[in-house]
Amino acid sequence: MMADLLGYLRNCLQTRKLAVLAILVSGGIVLQILACALYNNWWPMLSVIIYVLLPMPLMFLAGSDGYSLLSESDNGWVTATKFLTGASAIGSIAVPAILKHAGVIGWGALVMELSSYFIFLLAILVYIRMNDDGDDYNFF
Amino acid sequence: MELGELWAIFGPGVAGAVFGAGWWFWVDAVVCSSVNVPFLHYLPGIFATIAALMFNCVRREDIDYSPYDDGEWRLKLWLFFAYVVSFVSLAASVGLLIQDSIVKSGPSVWTGTAGVLQCVFVLISGLIYWTSHPE
Repeated sequence: MMADLLGYLRNCLQTRKLAVLAILVSGGIVLQILACALYNNWWPMLSVIIYVLLPMPLMFLAGSDGYSLLSESDNGWVTATKFLTGASAIGSIAVPAILKHAGVIGWGALVMELSSYFIFLLAILVYIRMNDDGDDYNFF
Repeated sequence: MELGELWAIFGPGVAGAVFGAGWWFWVDAVVCSSVNVPFLHYLPGIFATIAALMFNCVRREDIDYSPYDDGEWRLKLWLFFAYVVSFVSLAASVGLLIQDSIVKSGPSVWTGTAGVLQCVFVLISGLIYWTSHPE
């Protein structure tokens, strides 16, 4: 019976993590759209292109083997994936900064864009933690 | 986790980030420049990227470190050319920065500074990738 309870608690925790993830992702999307809508200036949507570009190397080259990204890997493709992911991650910060420097958007839009980016980053970290925890439990 | 392992895991990602930062500085300079940036100013960055590509083609184990042996001379020549290109591009970007600060009618000082930053970051990124990619 204790094992049942433990199993139920773990499921509950998993569901809560999923809810936190959903809130983070939708919060990020809301902030991104607010950055454009509040100022009636749709330029910040340019960084959405980089958000779309960011997971592409991960999806195409690293496949379903999530572990190889967080470990030393001999595969040249995995190293190239890490390189491209790093470049796209910087691109998501660079595009709003360049737009602000060129005077196309204001400070408020820049702050909202950057916070949306960090919320997405947090969501990715929570997702990775969730996957790691899930794997540990399944070894029973 | 020791430093060597961490470096091998996160090194390529950091190299990508630094490379991106270098090029995005240049994009910012070109976008925010009030005058048209002539193509000559693009060249140091392009050659720095080529140099970074060149010395990343060499696998670390292939290098024979004995200075008087005749072995692997083609590899050493390739590396030599890569170093020459990287240093010339760095010097050229610094020269263009000085020219930008003296000549008021051309591109602004930010353009020259961004050019130097671009060269430096691209070369550092190449170095990071070279030292960190596992064989």
